[in-house]
Amino acid sequence: MSGVDEKDESAVYRRVVLKNASPYHYLEDESTRLSAVELKQFIISGLKSLYGEVGAALTFDLLKYDEDKLTASFSCHFLLWSSLTLLGSYQNQACAFRVLQVSPFLLALTGNSRELQLD
Amino acid sequence: MMTVDLDQTPRSLLVFDRSSFLDEKNRISSQVEQHHFNYKVSVLLPECSSAPSHLDSVLNSFKSFYLIRNMPIYELLDKHFLETAAYKGSVYGLSYRTRVDEDNCVALMPNGRLCLSLDKDSFQVLGVEGKPSRFNHRTNSRYVVSVDLTHSSMAPGGRGYVRLLTGLRSRLHLKTDFLLSHHPGGGASLQALLSRYDWSEHRPEIRSRVLTQLSCPALLTSDLQSSDPHSFLEWLGAVDADASRENSSSSFLSSLVCPEPSTTLNQALSVSVCGLLLPQDIHRLIQEIRRHLEHHLESWASLTVHGFVDSPVSWGDSEHGVMRGGENFYSLLMFHDHTYHLHQATGAHDTCPP
Repeated sequence: MSGVDEKDESAVYRRVVLKNASPYHYLEDESTRLSAVELKQFIISGLKSLYGEVGAALTFDLLKYDEDKLTASFSCHFLLWSSLTLLGSYQNQACAFRVLQVSPFLLALTGNSRELQLD
Repeated sequence: MMTVDLDQTPRSLLVFDRSSFLDEKNRISSQVEQHHFNYKVSVLLPECSSAPSHLDSVLNSFKSFYLIRNMPIYELLDKHFLETAAYKGSVYGLSYRTRVDEDNCVALMPNGRLCLSLDKDSFQVLGVEGKPSRFNHRTNSRYVVSVDLTHSSMAPGGRGYVRLLTGLRSRLHLKTDFLLSHHPGGGASLQALLSRYDWSEHRPEIRSRVLTQLSCPALLTSDLQSSDPHSFLEWLGAVDADASRENSSSSFLSSLVCPEPSTTLNQALSVSVCGLLLPQDIHRLIQEIRRHLEHHLESWASLTVHGFVDSPVSWGDSEHGVMRGGENFYSLLMFHDHTYHLHQATGAHDTCPP
């Protein structure tokens, strides 16, 4: 598995895997869609505005993206998770990230019993 | 041989165990049996496009489970229920749609132990002995009450029994949707309880998909002893999540690639079962996969079992909770020669898996 996994004493790099609901738009404009590349670029720009160049340099992997349901899974640094909630608008439209699940293990994302529907 | 990998600043626990089914000292049966509340089993079979008939048969014979809506929890102390179900065989019961970090959660284990994970107010109103949860932050906001319903002190009419029954019936009025299963009696052993409430029977849901041209770690040839157990688990997670694995290290979206050395499978079958799954059924599935591997030289199979995120217990009677995540799963990589690798993963505040 590629992706950084080094640990140093001053800044412990800790990988977590997130499953998020990616930005949902108040869809006055139904033509607004977000590709995987645009999503990643949006997050990078958000990290940059929050943390500067250091933030923008934090690498993360967009593992899976459903453009219709607007759900995504990331593998990223712990800091990205906290910054996602601060990203409030995309192209002048209000948006919000809702984190569905967080785990150090990608495998855990596919076995979330909170998704069990028995109705 | 067992190694334990602890994250530097504790966030998770991953236990890696290597053994053989043929070794008398292997503990796999006990490890499977102790993981009471199983939500999902995923199987990955290389070079398969459909489930072999015996395997398919085992998957379809997983026991049904039952959902009782808005069940008063004091019903689990009902004398008739205890005598016909809890004392005879194994009852598996778990509150449904309750979050262990926010709501009151209840689990009834097959050994007759009843576990209540409660918020502070509910615990104080209930008025029985308990202890603070391991999953508290700075203050004690959650408590755990754990009683052995088979112990003499909890015999119907006894002091402990009456105190708990009164607490649940008259003080706390705890009601939740509740998942139930019974081994070996099934629904018949639960009929008296079911008949008093709105209930439904559910079959575990089976899904399968065929993967083609799958990049896969060269499990049979590489020296797995020296490889990082995280790498294999990450790859397995990517397969299960259907995440893109065909990236280059310079790819913009993701740098996730298959661990090296790797090989390519023409096809592989991924099958999953979801519901309230009994350890006995999982054990039968493992045995059937072993039989399958006996006829397929140079092969392997992977089985992953996910526990319920919101179960108040994980392995055995050990308290489980959600700090950031509620993972408690194990992954079994089985080989043709009856050897296996077992990965058990949970959160750092959980007890170490057995």
